[in-house]
Amino acid sequence: MAISLSESIQVGFQDFWTRKLRSLVTILGIILGTMSIIVILSLVNGMNQQTMKWMTERGGLTKITVSRNWEAKNPLNLPEFFTLKEVNLIKNLIPEADYFNATIYNRSQVKFASNNTFSRMVGTFTDFEKVEEWTADRGRFIKSFDIDESNNVIVLGNTIKEELFGSKNPIGKTVTVENQQLTVIGVMKYRFMESSGNIFTDNPFEYMNRTSVIPISTMINKFGQKDAIDELTIKAKSPEEAIVLKEKLEDIIFNLRRGQAIFNVESAKEEAEKMQESAAMFKIIFFFISSISLLVGGIVIMNIMLASVQERTREIGIRLAVGARRFDIFLQFLIQSVVITFIGGVIGVITGVSIVKYVGKFLNVSTMVDMSMIYIALLVSVGVGLIFGIFPSLRASNLNPVDALRYE
Amino acid sequence: MNYVIKTEDIKKVYHMGSVDVHALKSANIQIESGEFVSIMGPSGSGKSTLMHILGCLDSPSSGQYFLDNEEVSQFSKNKLAWIRNIKIGFVFQTFNLLPHLNILKNVELPLMYAGIHAGKRGKIASDLLDRLGLGDRLHHKPSELSGGQRQRVAIARAVINNPAIILADEPTGNLDSQSGSDILTIFKELHQEKNTIIMVTHDPHIAKIADRTITLKDGEVINGHISQ
Repeated sequence: MAISLSESIQVGFQDFWTRKLRSLVTILGIILGTMSIIVILSLVNGMNQQTMKWMTERGGLTKITVSRNWEAKNPLNLPEFFTLKEVNLIKNLIPEADYFNATIYNRSQVKFASNNTFSRMVGTFTDFEKVEEWTADRGRFIKSFDIDESNNVIVLGNTIKEELFGSKNPIGKTVTVENQQLTVIGVMKYRFMESSGNIFTDNPFEYMNRTSVIPISTMINKFGQKDAIDELTIKAKSPEEAIVLKEKLEDIIFNLRRGQAIFNVESAKEEAEKMQESAAMFKIIFFFISSISLLVGGIVIMNIMLASVQERTREIGIRLAVGARRFDIFLQFLIQSVVITFIGGVIGVITGVSIVKYVGKFLNVSTMVDMSMIYIALLVSVGVGLIFGIFPSLRASNLNPVDALRYE
Repeated sequence: MNYVIKTEDIKKVYHMGSVDVHALKSANIQIESGEFVSIMGPSGSGKSTLMHILGCLDSPSSGQYFLDNEEVSQFSKNKLAWIRNIKIGFVFQTFNLLPHLNILKNVELPLMYAGIHAGKRGKIASDLLDRLGLGDRLHHKPSELSGGQRQRVAIARAVINNPAIILADEPTGNLDSQSGSDILTIFKELHQEKNTIIMVTHDPHIAKIADRTITLKDGEVINGHISQ
């Protein structure tokens, strides 16, 4: 190469600078395109991150949940709950599971002295704290002897404790739930997640803070609940095993209900994958939208470059006369085009990141910028310059020296 | 005899639609190394066509052109670009400097295309401009200079790669008489330094400073095609 790359780039920047206003107008499309790439990617990334956090906070990717499938019809009138006997059968069929828990849900009034409030009640086994990765951080959680003896004990949700006891220590106190006297043995750890664009609540985990936990046996024997278990939660050894175990569980439960899909078996890992898939779709759709603006930007660049070639015909003639090869001319114009779009890309990235940082915060939307997006945006902008610069550059390099020198 | 330029029966035909225009009918010229030759002729006589072919900006339709003992008429476009860069220096009537570059960068241009390192180029170019009395104007744009100064810059650009021939196309045509004679003095000096100069002009007085004059008419060389 007779003329070095760094030199061509320098010439490109010079050209950009001599025609500042035109160059700036030219790159608007590229700026908008790269800016939207940054904004979209960081939104999707933020969504993914939020999803993963949600999953982790609710028991992680190894969790499998078996619960009532509300969409299923039940023409055979099969039981819509599990019996303890069935639960034990299922448990024995999946020895590979790390933890196994069964839960009965209820909603009751909880009273202490003159205070009372409504709480979501969970009757459960001791594995609850392992499966949900959530336990008492004051006092203690339910132990197996509480279950064996159907003890009248309760672990309060954080908000329930606040509403009944305020700042007082509730441990050892007695609360009344449906005529049963229950001793408070602990308070569940406070759960919180920053909401992402959720206008209804500040904390999507508040329902957990309104949940109180009692032994499943107490729930069945003392609260007039039948032997009717709502939900099974299982923890596999790894997210990969969770997917295998989920299939196995599906078969078992299918068989228990004569082939009717009365229950849903869901693995958190699969859910996360599904959410990420839809996030990826979202990403692709928006990528197409931003490519439209990049396409328009590219056409504008091509147009301006063609005008520039026309304008600089004589210059091309002079350069050819003093020894520039056609490739030198081609490269000069191509690099100019790439420099223009690269500058557009840089401005786009800067504005995109600022939008993400400030507007994202203002709208309470979670976003995440990482270096890979910035590389993608810059790469795309350079690509647009390359692609749309080729035709004008070819045109410049194909000029005949004599005609170019004569051009007025 | 060592001819730096030797053409054999060069023809140039332009196809304008269905009409063929014979711009150059049969040119046989020989120019020795170190000669100062002027080319004269009325407009339309083929002067410019001949200049373009001699300057490797254009190729003949037929015939052979030996430049510095190389047959260049069938060279590829890249090879011709290299010839223009290394062996030919152009001086134009309208100077043809790049308006957005300072004069130093303008003079460096042929060095750049010759692949000479950036650091070295500035030194060579500024030394040469210094010799031509423009050492204090290196960073001026051509538009800030007088016509005579601009043509000196153009001459510097033409000779910077020590070309085999210097082609000047009416180099004083756009200058006042004082600047014009200054430029002619430079050409005379270049001639004394054994440079080969070919100058197109229509001014017989200017033609007189040349060793000989080639006269063209209607696309044919009618006089002075070989040195006497």
